[in-house]
Amino acid sequence: MIKSKKFINFILQEGGIGLVLLILIAVFSIAAPRFATVTNFSNIMQQISINTAISVGMTYVILLGGIDLSVGSSLALATILAGKAITNPNLPVGVAIASACLAAVGISMLAGLFNGFVSVRWKIHSFIVTLGMLNMARGAALQISGSRTIFAFPAVFNRFGTMTFFSVIPSIFIIAFVLMVIGHIILRYTVFGRMIYAIGNNEEAVRLSGHNTGIYKISAFVFCGFTVGVAAIMYMLRLNIASPILGVGFELNAIAATVIGGTSMSGGKGSMIGTFLGACIIGVLNNGLLIIGLDDNARQMVTGFIIVFAVVLDTYREKLAKTQKE
Amino acid sequence: MKKFTRVLSVLLVVAVVLGSAGAVLAQDKKPVVGVVLKSLANEFFKTLQEGAEKWAEEDGRYELNIKGMNSETDIDTQLTIMDTFISLGVDMIVLAPADSSALVPSVVKAQQAGIPVVNFDVRLDADQLKAAGLEDFMFVGPDNEEGAYLAGMALAEKLGEGGKVFIIEGNPGADNAIARKAGFDKAVAEGKLELLESSTAHWETEEANTLVANLLTAYPDVQGIMCANDSMVLGAQKAVEAAGRDDILLVGFDNIAAVQELIKEGKVLATVDQFGAEMVQMAIEVGQRVIDGELEPVGWEKTPVELITIEDLE
Repeated sequence: MIKSKKFINFILQEGGIGLVLLILIAVFSIAAPRFATVTNFSNIMQQISINTAISVGMTYVILLGGIDLSVGSSLALATILAGKAITNPNLPVGVAIASACLAAVGISMLAGLFNGFVSVRWKIHSFIVTLGMLNMARGAALQISGSRTIFAFPAVFNRFGTMTFFSVIPSIFIIAFVLMVIGHIILRYTVFGRMIYAIGNNEEAVRLSGHNTGIYKISAFVFCGFTVGVAAIMYMLRLNIASPILGVGFELNAIAATVIGGTSMSGGKGSMIGTFLGACIIGVLNNGLLIIGLDDNARQMVTGFIIVFAVVLDTYREKLAKTQKE
Repeated sequence: MKKFTRVLSVLLVVAVVLGSAGAVLAQDKKPVVGVVLKSLANEFFKTLQEGAEKWAEEDGRYELNIKGMNSETDIDTQLTIMDTFISLGVDMIVLAPADSSALVPSVVKAQQAGIPVVNFDVRLDADQLKAAGLEDFMFVGPDNEEGAYLAGMALAEKLGEGGKVFIIEGNPGADNAIARKAGFDKAVAEGKLELLESSTAHWETEEANTLVANLLTAYPDVQGIMCANDSMVLGAQKAVEAAGRDDILLVGFDNIAAVQELIKEGKVLATVDQFGAEMVQMAIEVGQRVIDGELEPVGWEKTPVELITIEDLE
């Protein structure tokens, strides 16, 4: 009896959000025979890739107790610059693709630098600064593109976008996964990563112990910009268009994935693996609820409910972890 | 402080004098038409704006003052624009309302100020207009239902009776989304198609891509997809392609450049053109006929909708 209780505690404590994901997958597999197929899992992987990439950066920012509302707009702006570069007829294909990648990553890192610098230099909460950036980037994207969708990318670029490895794993999922692993390693095993946690927990203490917290905070926003730039290229690979109106609401999906994954909105607590599982939960819900035949309105309600439920469950996990320690 | 007040009052007087001088000059010049658009972030309205500017320049009879906003639902900005046009005293207002009900009081205000208003693109709410004393207020715009019906029938003819289809809808509650859905439904009924699923992707490419990929898993036997706009066609087409299903036929609505390309490549069957570039011109010309007393300002002046297939683009 005691043993089994211990076992349940162990699962709850270590599994947490992963357990919710497994339950969801099990339920959908039973309810809809077409859910648990290779093709469908391949679809889900493709559908969560962009959100996963953005959420990697978002995790850094939220761990600091900040937030980045500008990711969706920055993504749109990045696709526009990259789209202009990649469709430039004067450039050889290879150069066009390379400059598109540089443009996307460059502009979104610049946006991140602005977000970080302004919020640190004038001690303004990132909520406001990135809200401003949300509008600036969207306006710039519309201005530069003349509100037009850019299309007709090089064939080799489009082909790579729809490629799957072992006919299961989409190319853009691999990019997202690598980004997530890099994000995880930096967070876990570097001074920079540990500093992010420390600042999120108690910025004053870190500052008093002689560290320049501002540099770390700005770097986190720049890193978030980097992941947005990569996500912009992934978007272009997936849909072969660049548009100034895309990415509306992407910030909310990334914040949801991060928070479902157990990262605390007040900072200092959370993990990259959790964020990845959070993104998986959103993707599986989106896919599974449709396949079992729920209509639009029901899907929206159930998704909302499960997001809250997952986070509530997570608070129990925390409590358990605390009592176990004691 | 006193000095400041004096400077301010001098400035005010100068502004008023200049303003009235401008107004007097303007009277000698062409009539000014205030054009209120919806989201200029939307490719359709951008085309509409550019078409209107080009026409005004070539035609030379009117001076256009075109205003829009950057979001489909920014009703406040539209209300502000209406107020600005009323206080500027423009000669005519043509309005594409962001909200069918919320703009009605502004229309009444303009009419009371003696400025004729032509409602185009999205129809103002009939009940709200009636309550405001504007019964059967004239509307100039496309028949979205008819357009969607044309696209739906093009698909139905290719598939034949019993063809299995999805409908990808626009924003729930939006007037044109409702009309287009009705047109598709009519084509489904008339063409005796089997509707497997009808869901919204909120006009968006990425959402349509995800939705269609997931629907293909749930209903692999689908043969055709009707999308309520071309942005969603772009996403749906990528999903179909990624699933390796070159047998599925797609139709859309709006005739945007990216979809024209797909039609030429044979990847999309048809779309619908509602001649956005000419719509402002049509609205102003109808308004002029009303001012000249040639037309009663009631009923629906329909603007053309046309099915676009590969034959039209070659």
